Amino acid sequence: MKKILWCFVGALIAISLVVVTQGSAQAQAASGKTLKLAMDADPVSLDPHVQLSGGMLQYSHMAFDPLVRWTKDMQFELRLATRWELIDANTMRFYLRKGVKFHSGNPFTAKDVKWTVERLKRSQDFKGLFEPFVGVNIVDDYTCDLVTKEPYSLVLSMATYIFPMDSVFYTGTDEAGRPKDAIDKTGPSFALNNESGTGKYRVTKREQGVETIFEKFKDYWDTNSPGNVDKIILTPIKNDATRVAALLSGDVDFIMPVPPQDYDRVANSKNSQLVTMSGSRIIILQLNQNRRPEFKDPRVRLAIDYAINNEGIVKTIMKGTATVAAQQAPEGFAGYNPNLKPRYDLDKAKALMKEAGYEKGFTCSMIAPNNRYVNDEKIAEAAAAMLARINIKVNLKTMPKAQYWDQFDAQVADIQLIGWHPDTEDSANYSEFLVMCPNKETGYGQYNSGNYCNSRVDQLVLASQTETDAAKRSVMLQEVEQILYDEAAYIPLHWQNLSWAGKKNVGIEAIVNVMNFPYFGDLVIH
Amino acid sequence: MFAFTVRRIIQGVFVMLVISFLCFTIQHQIGDPVRDIVGISVSADEREALRDKMGLNDPFFTQYVRFLGKAVQGDVGMSFFFKRPALQVILSKAPATLELVFVSSLIIIFLSVPLGIYCAINPRSILSRIIMGLSIVGVSIPVFLTAIMLIYIFSVELRWLPSFGRGQLVYIGGWGSGLLSLNGLKHLILPSIALSSIMLPLFIRLIRSQMMEVLETDYIKFAWAKGLHKKRIWYVHAFKNTLLPVITVGGVQIGTMIAFTILTETVFQWQGLGFLFIEAVERADTTLLVAYLMVVGIIFVVVNTIVDIIYGLVNPMVRIQGSQ
Amino acid sequence: MDWWRRFRQSFLLYSFLRDSVAIACSLILIVLVLVSFLAPLIAPHNPYDSSSIDILNAEMPPMWMDGGSPEFILGTDSQGRDMLSTLLYGMRVSIIIGCLAVLMQAFIGVVIGLISGYLGGRIDSFLMRMADVQLSFSTMMVAIFLGAIFQEAFGVGLYEQFAVPMLVIIIGLAEWPQYARTVRASVLAEKKKEYVEAARVIGLRAQRIMGRHILPNTVSPVLVISTVQVANAIMSEAALSFLGLGMPVTRPSLGSLINSGFEYIFSGSWWITLFPGIFLVLLILVINLLGDWLRDVLNPKLYKG
Repeated sequence: MKKILWCFVGALIAISLVVVTQGSAQAQAASGKTLKLAMDADPVSLDPHVQLSGGMLQYSHMAFDPLVRWTKDMQFELRLATRWELIDANTMRFYLRKGVKFHSGNPFTAKDVKWTVERLKRSQDFKGLFEPFVGVNIVDDYTCDLVTKEPYSLVLSMATYIFPMDSVFYTGTDEAGRPKDAIDKTGPSFALNNESGTGKYRVTKREQGVETIFEKFKDYWDTNSPGNVDKIILTPIKNDATRVAALLSGDVDFIMPVPPQDYDRVANSKNSQLVTMSGSRIIILQLNQNRRPEFKDPRVRLAIDYAINNEGIVKTIMKGTATVAAQQAPEGFAGYNPNLKPRYDLDKAKALMKEAGYEKGFTCSMIAPNNRYVNDEKIAEAAAAMLARINIKVNLKTMPKAQYWDQFDAQVADIQLIGWHPDTEDSANYSEFLVMCPNKETGYGQYNSGNYCNSRVDQLVLASQTETDAAKRSVMLQEVEQILYDEAAYIPLHWQNLSWAGKKNVGIEAIVNVMNFPYFGDLVIH
Repeated sequence: MFAFTVRRIIQGVFVMLVISFLCFTIQHQIGDPVRDIVGISVSADEREALRDKMGLNDPFFTQYVRFLGKAVQGDVGMSFFFKRPALQVILSKAPATLELVFVSSLIIIFLSVPLGIYCAINPRSILSRIIMGLSIVGVSIPVFLTAIMLIYIFSVELRWLPSFGRGQLVYIGGWGSGLLSLNGLKHLILPSIALSSIMLPLFIRLIRSQMMEVLETDYIKFAWAKGLHKKRIWYVHAFKNTLLPVITVGGVQIGTMIAFTILTETVFQWQGLGFLFIEAVERADTTLLVAYLMVVGIIFVVVNTIVDIIYGLVNPMVRIQGSQ
Repeated sequence: MDWWRRFRQSFLLYSFLRDSVAIACSLILIVLVLVSFLAPLIAPHNPYDSSSIDILNAEMPPMWMDGGSPEFILGTDSQGRDMLSTLLYGMRVSIIIGCLAVLMQAFIGVVIGLISGYLGGRIDSFLMRMADVQLSFSTMMVAIFLGAIFQEAFGVGLYEQFAVPMLVIIIGLAEWPQYARTVRASVLAEKKKEYVEAARVIGLRAQRIMGRHILPNTVSPVLVISTVQVANAIMSEAALSFLGLGMPVTRPSLGSLINSGFEYIFSGSWWITLFPGIFLVLLILVINLLGDWLRDVLNPKLYKG
């Protein structure tokens, strides 16, 4: 019996030695640099059309390439397109890059663009964004026209979402008999576990929720990029403190995002560096006018706006890592109105309450998520405390996001917190979802739980969609912001900053941008 | 014994039925899985269509019957998030938790037995006072406080040990093991210490108090009187009878252990069942939750069955029903 | 005053006065309980009065450090609440939840354990399988379930008022099987012993045998578990706040204070975690030590020898 046991133990040791040596041999084979990356989540699928979310777009920029992409200063940079021109009011022509190969080895042509746009129009998440488009007309192998239903101001912004997929690779049926181009959100599909894009990295191993390994595609077209990372090991670490600890202990090279309370620690550590940038995700409070007659009175809304010290929130809770907001769109956006300044004046707030006849105040309820936005729970708590100063007693309940959105839709509380980042990187998008009159038919005002409704605002936002003259459009959207500000349609708090941190030798600064799509293909490790 | 086993199997099925039924009644309170699956700007109609397709809009009874029909064939549904069969997901995460619990149990057994016995035999010595003092402090410090302190000291400040995850795994069949590589073992150290930090003092104290009780009993006095060697009295006669309550409490504490793996795994990002559970709750991945809870239910029934059997073996005064 | 005389002559008091650790522990416990229940009178600030909180005071260090202010002796938390006051109020919440929930667990568990162990058979199997269901269902699921019911019944607005009783019920209901299984095991071992047989022979009723003869013999393991369970209950409550089912953020408990301070552990604001941590450990420690002493005293087998 003992003998057998020893043989067994010996065999185990032998096996493990073999496996370990193999492992290290593989590690040495890779010649370029390896990046150990820790994010708060990993891609939910290898199919870029399965979900419209920051995480999926970050993945798309690694394994795929868009026609054009945003640069750091919000300009368009050519990727798979080499030139674009406006043929007529409804048609944009794209000239495509030649000699680009997909990971499968198939060449990239105009028919892949057409195929991809058709697939986008089928995707539940993207079809809304591609609603204004008729489709793609192929001119020749390397030229195609993107056609819209009517003149549309955001054609190029939408082109940043077109990551051509390998039409040949994704056509046909897989071994289970399912069509390979199926977009399945809830079950297995071909595209879930297989990818063929034109991007710098191929996914060589993926264990969802544990690890994804990206390795450099040897026939990658962009040979001018300075990037020298050949392998990326992506590990999701959800817990903020653990993610920071992983960087500080040297277990990973790059983390995103960084919680504000740890900015100092990361920035001051001799081994790590911190990069932050002001972002475009606005955090606001909506005051439900249907639930509370008090909120119908603009003076009460203004009083609340004056009572909330959003600068104080930014300074303390956000540690200065957010930008105080007085409107929806941040600087640089078409609708940004430089005249609007953040308001905080407690005396004025009290005076307004008195004027409205609510000097004694009232009690109301408020809900906020506790794991969706940076410090969301603390922000809500601080706001509730500030309202107590003008005698509005707030009963606050916070909950995780899985439960929050149902409650938000059901409008269970009088004040509800929401954050918004426009998928189109455009001003109008904020208004379409947050302040336009709620309308089930058109879908506008889908997240307007304040039930604010102003026909002038609706009219202006709709007009801006088809206005292709940038200057005129900007004037319209600025007027929208002015109206919302004057009427205190909602309570703006701040725009969240974006943050990344890494070891000292990682060139973070050069690859990050306000969209929060780090271009890892261009990353240089010294 | 056969009748006993059959009875327990039937009871196990009953447990699973009750658990799945309760899960189905409360699944709407956990949240809406569709919200996690789609991006935020997707319209309400699209979400409704998806919910229809997933069968989430069917009446409660229809959903439950459909679930039972499939469960009989061994299919408890597809995890919304992993897009794989829920049982498969659970099985792939089980080794992580089992290894963590295994190493912690080793730590607990190999430390608590000698320390507990020592303290019982020499109740007045300085060393056993120190052990008892430390153990009472240990039992009073919450697990996640211990865990974060360990990370802070050994990973961040001293940089000796890794702070998260399982490290390099060696695959034997489908079992990804961290026990067979140095890197994997290093990753195991902190989490298993954290996990055992509450149970270890508890067991030391339990063994000590039970052993002291046993040492007062008549048959031990009789053994002394008979002139048996003290080692034989302590380690054979007394210790054997100490084991009985220890086994019971041990069985009960498996439940607590599972609760603690949730905390430990969350802090260390240990990709095991506890972590999976928390994530599933957060994502409202209800099929995965139902499957997870049913598996845990089975584990409890099995563990309790084993405890009952051992109990019968160790203590002939207790009869297992159905075994005669 | 018959009971008083009996108490004064009791073995309990006798051994208590001879044990300095027990005296010290109960003094500390009394002080902790007193200060937390008198918090509205002695705390320098009222953390529940949100209008008195200024966000600009957030994360001030304790008064003896640079940047500290004598107004906030132990510093402030991330909302600008005085740590000391918040701690005292939080401890009150934790003590209430911890003790009441454990009492509830112990009561349900002991009753079920006794019945299950003594009667055996089908009842035993049924009760023990219910315990399995309950154990695998974990506190969290019970909390989600009951939380939803409470919210349905009272609405979001009243959450602050019903949070404490709700948590007591949740934690009390969720963890009774620990007791039931432990008690049942002791009962199984005891009920075959001669003294129980004797009691049965002289015709005592089942309730009396269970209550007066078997129950005292199960005290030892029950006490060992209880002390740990108080700590567990306090921590469970903190863990639930993460699901939005614990104490509301505006009414922090000791556990949720530690939890929220967690995020600050690397950033240098150590006092947010450390002070509640120390108080929690101290509280549990004295409860444990007292439990230990009590067990030794109450254990009939030990002191006779």
